[in-house]
Amino acid sequence: MSVAPDEALDLREETDTLQAPDTPWQVIVWNDPVNLMSYVTYVFRTYFGFGQEKAQKLMMAVHTEGKAVVFTGSREEAETHTNAMHGWGLWATFERAE
Amino acid sequence: MAQGFKSTRKGITASFTPEEAELMIKLFNDVALALEPEQGDDEDPLAALVGIKENTEAPTDPALARMLPVASDDPEVADEFRRYTEINLRQQKIAHLKMAAMDLQTGHLTLDAEHASAWAKALNDVRLTLGARLNITSEADAAQVGEKVDWKQIDSVEDYMAFVYNFVSWVQDTLMEAMLSEIETDR
Repeated sequence: MSVAPDEALDLREETDTLQAPDTPWQVIVWNDPVNLMSYVTYVFRTYFGFGQEKAQKLMMAVHTEGKAVVFTGSREEAETHTNAMHGWGLWATFERAE
Repeated sequence: MAQGFKSTRKGITASFTPEEAELMIKLFNDVALALEPEQGDDEDPLAALVGIKENTEAPTDPALARMLPVASDDPEVADEFRRYTEINLRQQKIAHLKMAAMDLQTGHLTLDAEHASAWAKALNDVRLTLGARLNITSEADAAQVGEKVDWKQIDSVEDYMAFVYNFVSWVQDTLMEAMLSEIETDR
């Protein structure tokens, strides 16, 4: 058995530092004028396993908006995916999600 | 004239003339050579052996800078990433380029999934390199280069490079359509 504290504790400082590592990271693929649309669609379909519609939509977002977020998750995974995108020759960066 | 890639029951096939095959072998080998890790004085050979790069500056050559891009707008994050990934990335790319060059010992290709994937990446790195040499930095530049498809209108080295770029783009696009159609049939 245990005893609860007499008054509410101030956890603000603690939770701030605890939450920081949980902030998700994201991988962004940037538009470039060389990569073919068919190629980018293929990479999104096979590497990330996206369906036809989602892969096409993301590819078009990269093309028309200049970039698209293709992954959100842990920093480790974001780094792995960024590295894989570079292996495919896509221009990718990773950053903490806003 | 080349026959682009097609998806067939035996695999992904294509036929190239000896001149086309020779050109592509040269392109694959040139890009592979450019990607060889440089042996700088500041590189620790033991660290390099386990894939750790001491010099974490981005390459100054525009083609290499595009193939080995900066991974973060935070310089510290980007340097650390490059330190642990660049040597391996160069080696992967070289392996794909060499595999594609070896496949071209015959002009009649039948590629399984592993070779098709190596070809897709190798052709892409050739295009990134040619694109950098041709200074393609916008969609407008790309469209202008895309017009150089008539052999008879070539009268400069740059025109020839643009012609080669368009040939390789066509080859890669036929490969990607064939590979995409194989995903559709799998489902």
